[in-house]
This record gives sequence, structure tokens and C-alpha cells, in this order.
Amino acid sequence: MKLFTRYNRVNITTTIITFVVGSIAFYYVLNYVLISQLDRGLHVEQTEILDFVREHKRVPDPLTTKHQWTEYIPATETITHPKATTTEAYNKLESETEPVRQLVFTIEAGGRLYKVIVNQSKTETEDLLQMIVLVIILMIALILLFNYLINRKLVTALWKPFYTTISTIKDYKLGEKKALQLPREKLDEIDLLNTSLNSMTERIHQDYHALKMFTENASHEMQTPLAVIRSKVESLLQLSEGKEAMVHQLMTIEDATLKLSRLHQSLLLLTKLENRQFELSTPVDLTAILLLKLEERESLINAKELIVSVATEEVYLSFHQHLAEIMINNLLNNVIRYTPLHGTVSIRLSKESLSIKNYAADGPLNNEKLFQRFYKEEQSAESTGLGLAIVKEICTLAGFHIQYRYASQEHEFTIYFNTQ
Amino acid sequence: MQLKILIIEDEISLNQSMVDFLSAAGYLCESVFSYKAALEKIDYYSYDCIVLDIMLPGGSGLDLLNYLKLDKKTDGVIIISARGALEDKIEGLQLGADDYLIKPFHLAELSVRIAAIIRRKHFNGQSIVAAGGIQIDTGSKSVTISGNPVELTQKEFQLLLFLVINKNRVLSKNTIAEHLWGDSVDFPDNYDFIYSHIKNLRKKIVAAGGEDCIRSMYGEGYKMQLQ
Repeated sequence: MKLFTRYNRVNITTTIITFVVGSIAFYYVLNYVLISQLDRGLHVEQTEILDFVREHKRVPDPLTTKHQWTEYIPATETITHPKATTTEAYNKLESETEPVRQLVFTIEAGGRLYKVIVNQSKTETEDLLQMIVLVIILMIALILLFNYLINRKLVTALWKPFYTTISTIKDYKLGEKKALQLPREKLDEIDLLNTSLNSMTERIHQDYHALKMFTENASHEMQTPLAVIRSKVESLLQLSEGKEAMVHQLMTIEDATLKLSRLHQSLLLLTKLENRQFELSTPVDLTAILLLKLEERESLINAKELIVSVATEEVYLSFHQHLAEIMINNLLNNVIRYTPLHGTVSIRLSKESLSIKNYAADGPLNNEKLFQRFYKEEQSAESTGLGLAIVKEICTLAGFHIQYRYASQEHEFTIYFNTQ
Repeated sequence: MQLKILIIEDEISLNQSMVDFLSAAGYLCESVFSYKAALEKIDYYSYDCIVLDIMLPGGSGLDLLNYLKLDKKTDGVIIISARGALEDKIEGLQLGADDYLIKPFHLAELSVRIAAIIRRKHFNGQSIVAAGGIQIDTGSKSVTISGNPVELTQKEFQLLLFLVINKNRVLSKNTIAEHLWGDSVDFPDNYDFIYSHIKNLRKKIVAAGGEDCIRSMYGEGYKMQLQ
């Protein structure tokens, strides 16, 4: 839910509740004030009648106006505590029954007991009340409407720099040469956000470049001694003719050197993949790469007498030539290494996916650990244990999905290209 | 005339290894260890091939390459660098390097690449590599042994050229595999496929009347024995 929607919801609800409660209270207060006023009028009339009776020893003539009228009725009982009440009475002048405020009291005049009924019409009071309530309701509606409109305009305008910032962050890549440079803003909060983000990315950017430099330099510093070892082994090899044990030992050193250098290159590649240092925007002819890489391995395939079947469609992907080659290389190397002698391999490349199946009698691989770095099903000196981790990392980067299945004595690796 | 090679590499022992190896292969080698020394050499002399490291004390090998090209020098250049980054490779080749080798490399591989560069520079690619009774025409990719033409597959041709250029040297199976297959071999459990290529090549050489000159070194490497 958007902040504005949420804010509006709360704001409007509380405003409405406040206004409703307020209006009800206002109605009762107003009603009470108006009735007190009517009652005061009734008591003034009562006092006047009492004064008149005291002076003249008789009841006055009934006074009748539209708003107030009095009746005198002979009575037998005295009302000790007269009270004003709300009731209905017949208005002779208007010829209709109206709601009234009525005061009934008794009075003795000329030795006779009278019941005096004083009526004050409530019609006008009620009309007034109605008008007031109507005006209030209209006012509330107007306030709510303007509140909503102003909020909408204002809040949208206020949040605009925020959304600009967000979209800039979204498009930002660490690989870019510059750190994030968000503009200064008038609003303190957004300005704080922008300056904090600027300084944060500046720091991250510096760290990232330091790290990148470090890995590159480390690579250089490590490969050179490896090159020295290798060249010395080669020189020694020339001197070792006739010394079989020495040749074997030298080859062990060479293998280890080779493995170390491959391991290092693989780790460097993984780091670069994680740092997203590749632009995946070149059109790549995957079919051509697959066929070429298969052809390069013809000797290896023949040596193990593997039965390979290949079905391809023409597939072009927006990808990275070098990464595509590495991906195919690693998959093919695994298949050739782990398929037993005379085993079958089937490779199918379509626009949706690349699937590589190979015969394996020894059951499924550990699907969870398969793509982890340095995971090996069996301790094999030849494997770096990084091949599938690299494939997985490349797939993640390219938005592909890689899946492993074991069915009918076959391992199957499928890469689904993101082509929806 | 002896071919001249300048080796620019700051790691002294690696530089020395290359000098030893290439001298044994018949080249006249000079070595320098810094940017400044390299610049002086390049200014005064010309070489058939320059082996160039990129990260040097005092400057970048790529700048040296730039300098060579601005000066319209025709020396062949092979870059050797630990920076396997693809961008560096592309940049190096765009600046006019003839080849690019990533550290660590086999000396035999370096030797065969240098030989290819020199053939291209001097003979426009139409060059005969000959040793013993073997004549390899790298232009037309044809081979004659004791005057008899021999039909070789592409891999056998590459293998023969590699062995002849590095004649009388022991080449480990790793070295051969990496030269012929590059990326496609990552530690195969057995190198039987190399053995089968060697076996086929030997048969063809012998069938053409040549001497059986390929020796196996206890199954770990091979050597072409030629005078």
C-alpha cells in the first residue's frame, strides 16, 4: 500500500469520526441552549402572570400570538413543583398541532384555583436547528473534499524527488565508473536521504574498486610465480632423461601447478561474475558455440568411445560470448569426464532450453550441494569442484534457470533460457 | 642469420628461463627487466620478436606497444600477462600485438607462438619448417617426409609442427594437450587420446619412409629426436 493511501485512509477516517462525534455533541448542546431559552421565556411569562394576579386579584385575559399562547382552566388540585416539558399542543392561529415547550402551574385568583398552561412554539427553534445542522454537514463535506484534494496534489509533489531517487538507485550499477550523484533537495528528509545515499555509494564504490584492484593484482602476483615454477619444471624435465622417478615427480609438480592456476582463474571468474563485471548484451550464436566445442572435444569423446547424439535448433541469445563458451565448456567437460566408457550422451538445444543427458548407473547426485563450490561427488584429483558453481553463477547472471534431474539411469542438466 | 628476440619481463627467474629455453631453440636473446630499459632497447635496435610483459616496474607494457606502433616499428610482439581479463587481451591485440599468452604458460607453447609470428613477419606465412627429413609447409598445410607427401589430419598436423619446432625437447602431456585443445581439456582422467594421436602420427611417418623419431618419456611426455 502506498504511504499516501495509507495516510489518507487514516486521516479521512479520523476526520469523519471527529466530525460525526462533534456534530452530535454540537446538536445536543445547541438543543439544550435553545430549550433553556424557551424555558426562560416561559418563566418570565409565569412571573408576569403571578404579578398580574397579585395586583388585580384575577387572571389576565389569555394572550395569544403565533409563538406563545396561554390557557386558564379552573382546577381542583395544586401543582407544587411546576416544570417545563416538551409536548404537542394545538395552535389556534396556525390551526395545527405543533411541538411546544409547555409550563403548567396553578394559581389562586379571586378565591378560585386556576390551572395555567403556557405554550411556547418550538417550530422556529427546530427550523433553526435544522439549518444549523445542514450548514455544518455541508461544511464538513467541503473540508473533507478540499483536504483530500490538497493532500493528493501536495503529497504527490512532495514525494516526487523520492521517486526520482528510487529510480536512480534502481538503475545504478556498481561496475559504473562513477559513484551515485543524487541532487540536493529543498526538503530536509529527502535531502538527507540523497546525501546519505551519495556518501554510502561513494564508500561502497571505493571499497569495490579497491577489492577489484586487489583481485587483479593478486592474480598477477600469483600467476607470475606459477609461471616461474612451470618454466623451471620444463627445464628440469629436459635434464631428467633416463631418470624415470624424477620425471614422475616433476609431472606431479606440473599437474599441481596447472591445477593451482586453473583454480585461481576459476575463483577470479567467480568473483567477477558476482561483481557483475560483464555486460550481457552481445548477440551470441549458441548453436555455433556448442557445435564448435563438441568438435574440439572429438578426440576426447572418441577416446572414451562415448555415443553422443546432438539435436540443435538455431539459437541466438543476448549474452556474452566468453561466458557462453565457459558455460558450454564446463558442462561438456563434466559430461565427458563423468560418463563411463561407451556411455551415451544426448544433447538437445532448443530456443527454450539446453539439455544435456548422460548415462550414469550410480544413482542421482546430491541436488542441494551439486552447485556449491568445491563440492565433489567423489574425491577426484582432476576436478577443481568449481565448474558447476561457475555455470550456476553464469545462469543467475543471465537470468537463466538451471535444473538437475535423475531419471531412467541418466543425469540430466537443463538450462532454461529466460524467453517468456 | 640468427633471429633476435627481446624479452621484457621483470620477474628475473622467469626471464632467465625464457632466455635459456629460446637460446637452446637457436634464437639470440636479450633480456630487460624494466620499462625504461625496454624503451632504450626498442629505440636503438630492432628485433624479430619481442616478448612483452604488461605489468612492469616504471610503466605498462601496453604503453611500450603503443610506442612501437607509433614509431612504425615492425617487430613482432607477443604479450605475456597474468591479467587474463578479456578486455586486456582485446586491448593488447587492438594495439597491434601479434599474439597474447596468459601466465602461466609452457615454454614450448611460447616457442611455437614466436615461431609462428616470425614466419608471418618474414615469409608472409609461406614458410617451410624443416627438420630431419620432415618438411612442413605452414602456408599450404602440407607435409613431406623424405620427399614423400603425407596426408595428416588437422590435429596431427598441429602436433607434428609443435614437435618439430620444439625438437629434441621433452614435452609433457599437459603441454601437448594444452597446445592442441586449449580450454577443452581440463584435467582429463587419462591422456589416452594424446597417445592415440601420437601413435597415428608415428605410423604415418614410418609409412612415408621417415625415421621413427618420437620417443615416449615413461608415458608422461614425448620428445622428437632429430639431429
